[in-house]
Amino acid sequence: MGESGRKGEIWAVGGGKGGTGKSFVTSGMGTHLAQKGGRTILLDADLGGANLHTLLGMNRNRHSLSDFFDRKVPLSEIVAQSGIANLELITGSFASLDSESINHAQKQKLFRHIRALDADHVLIDLGAGSHINTLDTFLLADKMIVVTTPEITSLENMYQFIKSVYFRKLKLIFKAHNLTATIQGTWKDRATHNIRSLKELIVHLKQSSDDIRDILEREMSGFVIYVVLNQVRTPKDIVVGENLKSVCSNFLGLSVVYAGHSRHDEAVHRSINNKEPFMLLNRFSPVVKEIRTLTEIIAAEPHPLFEKDMVNG
Amino acid sequence: MDKYLQYYDLLELPPEATIKEIHSKYVYLKNLYSCNPIEIQALNEDFSQELREEYLSRLDDAYEKLVLLMDPKKPARIPQSLKIDEETRHWIEQIGCFDGAALRAVRERLGVDLKEMFVVTRIQPHHLQNIENEVFEFFRAEVILRSFIIEYARFLSLDPQRVLADYMPRYQSWTASPEGRGQDDLPDILTMLGQE
Ligand SMILES: Nc1ncnc2c1ncn2[C@@H]1O[C@H](COP(=O)(O)OP(=O)(O)OP(=O)(O)O)[C@@H](O)[C@H]1O
Ligand SMILES: [Mg+2]
Repeated sequence: MGESGRKGEIWAVGGGKGGTGKSFVTSGMGTHLAQKGGRTILLDADLGGANLHTLLGMNRNRHSLSDFFDRKVPLSEIVAQSGIANLELITGSFASLDSESINHAQKQKLFRHIRALDADHVLIDLGAGSHINTLDTFLLADKMIVVTTPEITSLENMYQFIKSVYFRKLKLIFKAHNLTATIQGTWKDRATHNIRSLKELIVHLKQSSDDIRDILEREMSGFVIYVVLNQVRTPKDIVVGENLKSVCSNFLGLSVVYAGHSRHDEAVHRSINNKEPFMLLNRFSPVVKEIRTLTEIIAAEPHPLFEKDMVNG
Repeated sequence: MDKYLQYYDLLELPPEATIKEIHSKYVYLKNLYSCNPIEIQALNEDFSQELREEYLSRLDDAYEKLVLLMDPKKPARIPQSLKIDEETRHWIEQIGCFDGAALRAVRERLGVDLKEMFVVTRIQPHHLQNIENEVFEFFRAEVILRSFIIEYARFLSLDPQRVLADYMPRYQSWTASPEGRGQDDLPDILTMLGQE
């Protein structure tokens, strides 16, 4: 496969609840990045519900991720043209990421192949849920993006998802540095240390050991989640997005960037049913502009350094 | 100065923020967390009443300290100093253990009501009452209770260390009791961090 030197950026789109618009936003962001001239590959990693191709007005590709897993076809050979210049697609398989049938070695191999793809941007559409494989794929990304709607259930699932991502990340760090036992011990004795939450556990660990503090600060730098608010209907909804940064940092101990919103527009629905690529054919829909704007914001962010005191609240 | 950086942090502002920025951010945060919009409701157990109150009182404190720092002409909210006569002082010295009841007795003897105390300490009257009645389930974090006790003691011109030494073991034995442990409904982080 292409051992090219191009070091593209990996974006992953996930976020708990089904139907918030992850696939729609992924296809929109991908189209915009491609229109700007960079080679862009969309990877449809949704469980069973692979439908990015429909959103781009394509028929289902002959090859899919199952060829990669079952027939050992290199990922770079499954890439199909989308019909939009610079935009390509890797179709999902039915036995996809959220599946026990994918073992650790296969997952690692998939990640290696994703990293080696010759593109400026690789956008991974993760689908709903927080299966461990979904979390690991999300963590693989340089830019981690969640799509939510301004609705309480959708926000609940989003909080749950980003918490799971954060737990998973910490667990991997602890494991890599042989700290799991230490941390489990501290947690067992949490009553004596006055620890009530993960946030307080992290504060305690950082205060108790310079080594752990350094490890956490190093490994967590750049751990930022971008939030996209989709299907916005009123100006009041937009405020929800603006509040999320403060809410997440104060009460979850997590650093998020609000990338922007896209409104609810019947044109989206119509375009999907007509199997038309939305971004190309709806130049007058405000949603096109909004998706472009939020894509630019995510693209422009230079991996902002982790706010130093994120977990200290 | 370290403390001031924390205040800026709490207000989510850089240290070079102007007084106008401090004010509008304070109003924004105060509104956000006093109301109950969906983005807050959705936090469920991550946003308890206790956490909210603790946060809001820290926010008030940070705002006040920063305003004072930026605009020293504005009068600080100086805690009134209580007049304690010899007899009362002697009576206080006789107190064997500063438990909740003793604290209330001192307060009542000094003729202070909870509202007055709230104005200066910014500890909500019902919390002050919980301290006096030793109703501990509302103090999930020892640190918060500690800081309340310190404020309480200072307000009554008692020695905070002495009061803490008497009072905190009562809380600790409560947290160790089955009743106190029953309050622990945290998600089991251990299992999340556990072995594969
Ligand atoms: N901005 C929008 N305006 C109007 N309708 C929208 C918008 N975004 C998404 N939708 C509608 O929501 C539906 C679901 O969108 P999409 O398939 O992108 O969600 P998803 O998050 O990928 O779902 P799943 O979790 O099932 O993968 C779309 O079919 C579309 O009709
Ligand atoms: Mg989808």
